[in-house]
Order: sequence, then C-alpha cells, then structure tokens
Amino acid sequence: MRSANVNAVYNARIPHMRAPSSRFPRAACLFVLMLMRAPMILASDWRPPEEQLARKIAAATGPGAVALDLVNRSSVNRPDVEEIRRGLLTELAALGVRFVNADQAAATVQITLSENLQNYVWVAEIHQGNNDASVVMVATPRSSPAAIEHPASALVIHKTLLWIDESRILDVALVNSSPQHMIVLEPESVVLFKFQDGRWQQEESLPLSHSRPRPRDLRGRLALRKDHLFDAYLPGTFCRSTPTAPLAINCYESDDPWPLGTDQSGLSAFFTPTRNFFTGALSPGIEKQTTVKAFYSAAVLPRDKYKLWIFATVDGQVHLLDGVTDQTGGKLGWGSDIASVRSGCGLGGQVLVTSNIDNASETVTAFEIADREPVAVSQPAEFSGSITALWADSDGTGAIAVSQNSETGRYEAYRLSITCGQ
Amino acid sequence: MRLTGFPLLVASSLLWAAGSSAATRPHYGGTLHVQMRAAPTSLDPSDSNQPGWFESRNLFSLMFDTLVSLDEQGKPEPALASSWLAEPGNQRWQILLRRGITFQDGAPVTSDAVAASLRRTNPTWKVFSEGEAVIIERDSAAPNLPAELTLPRNSIVKREGGKISGTGPFAVFQWDPGKRLSLAARDDYWDGRAFLDAIEIEMRKSFREQMISFDLGKAQVIEVAPEQAHRSGAEGRHVESSAPVELIALVFSHDSQSPEDGRQRQALALSIDRELLNTVVLQSGGEPAGGLLPNWMTGYGFLFPASIDLPLARQVRSEIPHTTSWTLGYDPADPTARVIAERIALNARDAGLGMQITNASSADLRLVRIPLISLDAQNALGELAAGLGLPQSKSAFSSVDDLYSAESKLLQSQRVIPLLHLRTAYEVSNMVKNWRTARDGSWRLLNVWLAAEKP
Repeated sequence: MRSANVNAVYNARIPHMRAPSSRFPRAACLFVLMLMRAPMILASDWRPPEEQLARKIAAATGPGAVALDLVNRSSVNRPDVEEIRRGLLTELAALGVRFVNADQAAATVQITLSENLQNYVWVAEIHQGNNDASVVMVATPRSSPAAIEHPASALVIHKTLLWIDESRILDVALVNSSPQHMIVLEPESVVLFKFQDGRWQQEESLPLSHSRPRPRDLRGRLALRKDHLFDAYLPGTFCRSTPTAPLAINCYESDDPWPLGTDQSGLSAFFTPTRNFFTGALSPGIEKQTTVKAFYSAAVLPRDKYKLWIFATVDGQVHLLDGVTDQTGGKLGWGSDIASVRSGCGLGGQVLVTSNIDNASETVTAFEIADREPVAVSQPAEFSGSITALWADSDGTGAIAVSQNSETGRYEAYRLSITCGQ
Repeated sequence: MRLTGFPLLVASSLLWAAGSSAATRPHYGGTLHVQMRAAPTSLDPSDSNQPGWFESRNLFSLMFDTLVSLDEQGKPEPALASSWLAEPGNQRWQILLRRGITFQDGAPVTSDAVAASLRRTNPTWKVFSEGEAVIIERDSAAPNLPAELTLPRNSIVKREGGKISGTGPFAVFQWDPGKRLSLAARDDYWDGRAFLDAIEIEMRKSFREQMISFDLGKAQVIEVAPEQAHRSGAEGRHVESSAPVELIALVFSHDSQSPEDGRQRQALALSIDRELLNTVVLQSGGEPAGGLLPNWMTGYGFLFPASIDLPLARQVRSEIPHTTSWTLGYDPADPTARVIAERIALNARDAGLGMQITNASSADLRLVRIPLISLDAQNALGELAAGLGLPQSKSAFSSVDDLYSAESKLLQSQRVIPLLHLRTAYEVSNMVKNWRTARDGSWRLLNVWLAAEKP
C-alpha cells in the first residue's frame, strides 16, 4: 500500500476537514463587510460554462444562422440571466454563429438554465431540419446562498459580528491586548486570532483531546485568566492553556465546576458530562444556598448588599436566588439562555434573554429586575437562526451570542452590548 | 432608563408567556412514538428480500451507520470513515476508519469487521483490511464509490451467531417482526447521544389507524398519504414533506416484442394525463414525471415530456395495424393505485388502446411505486433500474451528460413509462422538536427532542 499512498489521489476536500487557509479570508471578509454595512454581493463567474456550452452548441450547429432562445428554470437571478445570455451570444458569435429569426434559421437552439442539488445545469436543445433534437449540457457548481443583509436599525442591544464558521462555535473571548486577540472555542479545537491589518488573522489552532463522545447540543465556555491565557470548559473535559509561549493546551477528563456569570461573580456550577445542562450543584454556593434545580444558564445582577442570581432551569422556569430565598419566577416565556450585562444604563445591569418562540430566527431581549418582576427594557435583537450559546463575557460589559444561520447552516458569533438613551 | 417607556415591550413579553411554545434548548429524555404502514420483517440492511421501503431505510439509519453519508446537497461526508482516497483510475480505494467506535454489543469496529460487512453485500467487490484501513478494489473505475457506500445495504453490520449488531445511535430493545420495534438510545454513540431516550415504532398501521392514534395522543409522528398532505396542512396540522422522491410508473413485464408493440407503448405514454392524476387524484401530492429521476435531482428532467398529447397518441395508434389489449396490474392494498390505474385505462381508451385493470399477480404491465433511495443521482438511477428490472449501466458517469444518456437509454427501452414523482409526508406533533424530513424523505432523529408538555 506504500505505492498506493504515494500515487493516491484525494477525493474532493471533505467538508468536515477544514482548510484553515481558506477559512480565514471568507470569515474575515464577512466581518469587514458587516462592519461597513456594505451590500453583500457574491458575484459568479459565468464565463467558463458560457464558453463550454457555446463550444458544444457550435460543434452541433456549425457556423451559420441560428435562432436562439433562453429560458431560466433555476434560482439564478434576472441580472445574472441577462449576463449569461449576453455571454453566450458573445461566445457563439466568436465561433461563427449568427443570430437570426426562427424562419431564417438553419437551426434553433433552446437553452434552459436549470439546476440540481449541487450544480447549475445549462441545457441546449438543438433542432436542425426534421432531425430529432440533439441535447448538449454543461454543469457548473452552485454558489452558496448569499447572506441576507439586514437593514441597520436603532437597537439598544448592539450586535457586532465577530466570526463565522462552518463548525459549531461554543464560545468566543476577546483579549484586551495590542494587537487585539480573539479566542474561539470549537468542539475539537481552540483557535487563536490576531486583529491585524483590519482583519482577524489566525495565529494558532490548538486541538482539544477527549476520549469520550461529545454529548449532543454541545456546550463549552472560555474563561480568561491572569496567570495564563485561558481555561476551556467542555462537558467532562477541562483544558488549560500554558502560562508561557509557545502557547499549548492541556486537556484532561474532569467534572470541575464551570464559572457562572463574569470573572467577578465568584460562583461556579457542575455541568453534566453527558448532557447539555448544569446539575444544579453550586460551588461554593450563594451564601447558604448550594443547590438549585438543574439549569441551562445563569445570570447575576449586583444589588447593594447582595447578588441576585437568576437561573433558567431545565423545566422551563426561572428561579431567583439571593442567598436566602429561592423564588420561582414562573414561566416567563424566556428561552434557555440568559446572560448578565453590566451596561451602566437603567438599573446598571440587565439580563439578556433568548426567546422561546419556535421560529426560524431567534431574538435576544434585555430585561431588568427591579422588584423580582422582570421587565423588558429593549427591543428584541434578531438573529438569523437559533441561538446555540449565550455567555457573559469575561469583564461583564457584554455577552457573546452564537447563532446558527438557518439559511447557510453556519455558526455566527456576535458580541452583544447595550447602550443607553435610544 | 424609564420603565414607563416600554409598555408595549412588557405586554409583548407577557404575550410570549401566555401563548408560546417551549422552544428552548433541547431536552434530553422521553420516548418518541411513531407509526407506519410498512411491516418489515427483517432488520438486516443486506436482506435483499425486503421491499425497498423508505421506512426500512429510515429504520436502518437508527441502528446502523455507513462509512460515508450524504449531506443535504448529496455530497459525501465522513461517517464511520474519517477519510478516503483513491488511486489513479478510481478502481482501488483506501478507506480510513474513525477510531474508538463500538458496535452495540460493545465489540470494537475494526477494519476486519468492516471488510466482512461490505464483502457480504458486494460479492463482486474485492474488500480486505490493511491495518486500520479498508481497501476496496473494483473491476472497473468507480469514481462514485463514496456515494455508493452511503446506500443502506452498505451499512456496517456485525453478524455473530445469527445476531446482528450495528454502530447506530439506537440499539434494539425489543423486536416483534412486522409489528413493533423498540429502540433505546446508546449513551456511547460516537456522534453524540441522541436527545431521545427511546423510540417505539408500530408497524402495519393504515393511514386511518395512524391518524386516530395521533389524535388520541398515542403517536407523535405518523405518515400522511400524499393526497391528504395538502388538506392536512390547510387544517392546521403540522405536516412535513420531502421533495418528490417516490416514482410511480408503469412497468411492462417484458421487452418490446416488435416495432408495432413499441409504437403502441409510445401511444400509451402520450395518452396519459399526468397533470390530472397529480392535481385531482393525488391533490398535488407530487409532480408529473416524464423521466425516472426528478428534475430537482438532475437539472435535466424537464427534457422528458410529461404532458398529454392525445392527438399524437391517436395518430401513432392509427399507424398500428393490429393492437393488443393489455392488462394493467396494481397493488390491491393501495386504494390510490386503483384510482390511478382506472384513470390510465380511461386515457388509453381515449387514444384507441384497449386496457383492462386487474389485481391479479400476472399482467402485461404493472403500476409500481419505487422510492428513490439516494440523494446521489447516479446511485438513485442505478437502484431504480435494479428495482424495475432494467439493465444497469456498467460504465461510470463522469458528467451530467453521461447521466442523461444513461437515463435516456433506460427510457428508450420502453420497459417503463414514468408517471409521477410523489412526496412523502409526515404529521408531527407539536411536542416533537427539531423534526426535519430531509429532501429525500429520510429521518434525522439525532437532534429530535420532546417538549415536556403540550403547548
């Protein structure tokens, strides 16, 4: 098999095997485009299939007078159809084909722009005299659906797109350094980026080792540290980066509790290693309270003399804990993911909450809790798919939200922040 | 920030609380109850005696994995295989296996076990293990091998002492052949444990029985007849449909015997009003078909005419000195099939052709329903040809032109007259979250979960 390996020809790149070099430019371009709010245009190069089809048609008709008609049965938009029509006419003319009305033509050519799952399929039916129609066709790969551009809106919750990836994004951490760095936690790796020349450039990708299968609806959390760069928490796995360069990561099986809220919160909770929720056991606890119902997420709102903790529990309820009482907020219509943000607006801190409405798109709304009654204080920020992660960021001034775009299937990581007075 | 500035928002948040469903992070646990008409008696994917039901394919996918799977665009992606590569010429392939996977009985998935499984279902292939890889050698170039490995019959199965074991996300808990199948989720499934704890599948249930069970809350997923799907959706029921993936066709019992026989078949094909069959009989539950494969799969399906042309049919008929009166057989267990057969007999008579319908086992031509078993067009055509008893192309297809030529050749044999491509449809309870019927009608149950309560 040695010789076989030497001469082997690889199949087309397997989608799950990312090509790191190709991933950066796409995502970075999207990032820059989003920042500039520029219209997004994914132009296709139709010239190769135009040349190919024109050659096939000319081979069948030969140079001479032809009547040509073009029909679009595909998802190609009208301007592109016109561009293709012009391109085909140009290519055919260069091959000696002249265009006339049907009654003067030696051949009639019906071109249909069609498509299948992977390709645009362009079909030419060629009629000459009383002969049966001959058929020639070419196929060219379909481009991915273009991203939908959302108009700018005056939202109190601000979304800043950080990264887009085919792979699930579990968490993102922005490191305050010069140049700025970004850490992206994915199921199988931690990827470190540097912001340089106006774009994120990948510096390193550190694989995460694990021996047990990952649970479905995989979750994970990054925590920035002072004595080393970061810790990464995944179900049943804990990973710590090295304190010194070169950067490396050590992972081992562990049920250590995950940090809740922000760096200053001082509360951790145990995560079920084979599921997608926290067990409810708290470490060290909220004063005397060391357990709560199994929950998906938690947020903290500082009060004058205590901290109010909010838990979105697995049974769909919301629990408010202050160290003494455990008050059930009932079914508020909140989703599973909540995160606190210290904005300095209103009461000083808000809770970002995902919606619980079955929809192709999801929303995040900011709530304040004055007298244990949550009140919506922002308009919902919309996402183009379901939200798969929502974590407070390390310093508590914002949150990281990850949504899976319902059209492209890609994961989009945003930093959410709240501004006052709008 | 003044709270009084947001009364509308407060109201909207209360409305969410009152009327929304629990569309939250997925919940683990619960048993999904499914009912179906089919009644498979074997759970072995290599059992060629089983009809090629969609349901069988869907059941196999719960218990078994293939080396490669197809994504929604029909592109191969890794499953039990982590990667694959071909030597120049595409005859010899090396398949590298994902590590650390076990069968349901706990035995590790080895290259020897994989090779043995593939050899059983593909006796003409040369398959052997080489370290952690499996080598497949074919008689001729097989550029489409990765897609071929996605076929249900190529599921990796361990056979020992008359028992079979797979690597899929669910293990058989109880199996009453043709009646009931109970499956339990595997905690150690390599691609992540399913959210559901268990699946209970009841078989041999008519559409009517299924609907009653659904309305009584005894089933959460049931099949819906294609002709009922539109109405059920209009009644506010949650119906999920595939793309048109089931071919209804007329298949002659033998090749054309003479030029006149061929002309008579041509006249019959021209006389059939497929549009009427689809809109009236099937309530737009499918699409008229002139070709074997649907247009969404090939991009050229529109080239095969599907429209009725009665004047031409009569003209062709008039050129035949002596015609034969045919018998048209149909499945008596399928009430829709009888209606379709009657309509075809009427159309044939309009064109001057004699035709009697029969539910006897022998007939000159039969009305058949055949599922398109793969999203890959080449595989789908090959399996379709095999299912219809048509000669299969030996050569590999390298382009869409090749595929078109192969399909044209099958149609030119005049053994088969395509009529319609039907959608498969399921009614799904609102408690079932993340249910998705794939384009090819396959289930994707790994991400399905059950809401704790009915909204």
